[in-house]
Amino acid sequence: MTSAPVDMSVQVGPLALRSPVTVASGTFGFGEEYAAYVDLTSLGAIVTKAVTLEPRTGNPGPRVWETSAGMLNSIGLQNPGIEAVVAEKLPGLVSLGVPVIVNIAGETVGEYVELARRLGQVEGLAALEVNVSCPNVDRGGMEFCADRTALAEVVAAVRDATHLPLVVKLSPNVGDIVPVAETALTAGAAVLSLINTLVGMAIDARRRRPRLVRGTGGLSGPAIKPVALAMVWRVWRALRCPIIGMGGIMTGEDAAEFLLAGAAAVAVGTASFVDPTSACRVGLELDEFCRREGVAAVAELTGALRA
Amino acid sequence: MTHVMAELVWNERMMEEYHLMAVAAPEMAAEAKPGQFVHVRVGPTHDPLLRRPLSVLRADPDAGRLWMLVKVVGRGTRLLADMEPGSRIDMMGPLGHGWPEPPPKGDLLLVAGGVGVAPLIFWAERLQAKFPDSSVVSIFGAARDADLACWLELAARSDEFYVATEDGSAGEQGLATELLANHLARRDVGAVYACGPRGMLVAAARKCAQARLACFVAMEQWMGCGIGACLGCAVPAAKGGFVRVCTEGPVFAAEDIDWEALAE
Repeated sequence: MTSAPVDMSVQVGPLALRSPVTVASGTFGFGEEYAAYVDLTSLGAIVTKAVTLEPRTGNPGPRVWETSAGMLNSIGLQNPGIEAVVAEKLPGLVSLGVPVIVNIAGETVGEYVELARRLGQVEGLAALEVNVSCPNVDRGGMEFCADRTALAEVVAAVRDATHLPLVVKLSPNVGDIVPVAETALTAGAAVLSLINTLVGMAIDARRRRPRLVRGTGGLSGPAIKPVALAMVWRVWRALRCPIIGMGGIMTGEDAAEFLLAGAAAVAVGTASFVDPTSACRVGLELDEFCRREGVAAVAELTGALRA
Repeated sequence: MTHVMAELVWNERMMEEYHLMAVAAPEMAAEAKPGQFVHVRVGPTHDPLLRRPLSVLRADPDAGRLWMLVKVVGRGTRLLADMEPGSRIDMMGPLGHGWPEPPPKGDLLLVAGGVGVAPLIFWAERLQAKFPDSSVVSIFGAARDADLACWLELAARSDEFYVATEDGSAGEQGLATELLANHLARRDVGAVYACGPRGMLVAAARKCAQARLACFVAMEQWMGCGIGACLGCAVPAAKGGFVRVCTEGPVFAAEDIDWEALAE
């Protein structure tokens, strides 16, 4: 079979990416752990682990629990804090020549603003991803998605604090995702990341205790793919906005499904834990899918779901 | 570190719940150090999803084989134990840090609990080959005799070998750490190396700290990626914060772990 090369470049709002395949925050560290396994430059973008103002030690273990075709995590935003990230992690990442999107998380609006200001001084970043959807912390996190006034406030404040484009990562743990998405866009989000993990729980029946210390955790992996697809599709249908779709992507065909549902790009997450080459492999498989299906440019797939 | 589809060449049921398995994996066998682990997929589908970390029980570079001990504790290890020789296993490794060089003087005390015997068999073999002047004294503890899988493998690589079972079905009745305490009181011990259940490691660490003796533990923890990215396998560190079992470990100096926080 002969076929012309597929144009894999995509435009995601203000972001021009050479591939639609990125990585989900929290599943790829700051890239360094994966450098031995994948060609990082083949990725559309690298999205960092969430960064907070102060270092966070994270939650006590066990922090991960396997569930049917998925896993629960309760890491608790462990990270070395913004100053260490800026000094030690970002210079190497930025030098790769791959768009770098830094995920930021705070407990208050002021913390998000401070993070955005500090990162605005860093050369070479492509965007910030505003994490208003972590299910594993006491304050901040997905509370911001539960209250649209609070969401609008935090996104608008970050918008004013930096020149960098904003990706806002939303929680699926809301009644209706569409008004939440609309609020984020109106307040200044250029791109939406859909979805963060679903709140889930595992129980040790014999000991009558939850498996995770905080009781609940964030569910990810293939188990949540149908939920994620539905949320991407509903937001795309209602708002026609730039979306990075994620939730259980294991293969190139999974990625194609998210694009068809309306995503302009995708993120590979939990799959990287199972196979560290996943993000790279998904890109190659998506390219192969396009060749097989006679798709000349991968961007054609976005929202191309037939009725 | 390599990532291969390794052929299963040996699968022998030991006792009731244990399987001794070997794969043909020449690069891993050449590279593996005692105390390191391999991260193994139990099947090709998405369920079960995550890999299982398994200690290397022995590496035989000449034959290109890597040996592991699998205890069937759930669905994933059941699938692994049921694999037929000839099937292919998706494995990454060797991963993590192994046992550190032993001190020049004193007995080297190996304390194994249940399936935790695996990395100590490899270590005993290496100690006998490389440090013939040191005496390897092994203590193997388990709930009952049926949990003493591969005891002969450890005994054959030890200068002295002791057994303790909680129900008294083999060896002394009691805990391995009680035998450890006896040895610490009577012998010139250079260092202690322990792998087994959490409670055993806590007791070994405490007894060694009291005796001001170097103690190293190989830790087990629920694990995600195995390469340091997910931060899922973190355990509390004595200096504050957490350390990753997969990357900073699985072997730690006992004094580097916050055992109080871990016990909570």
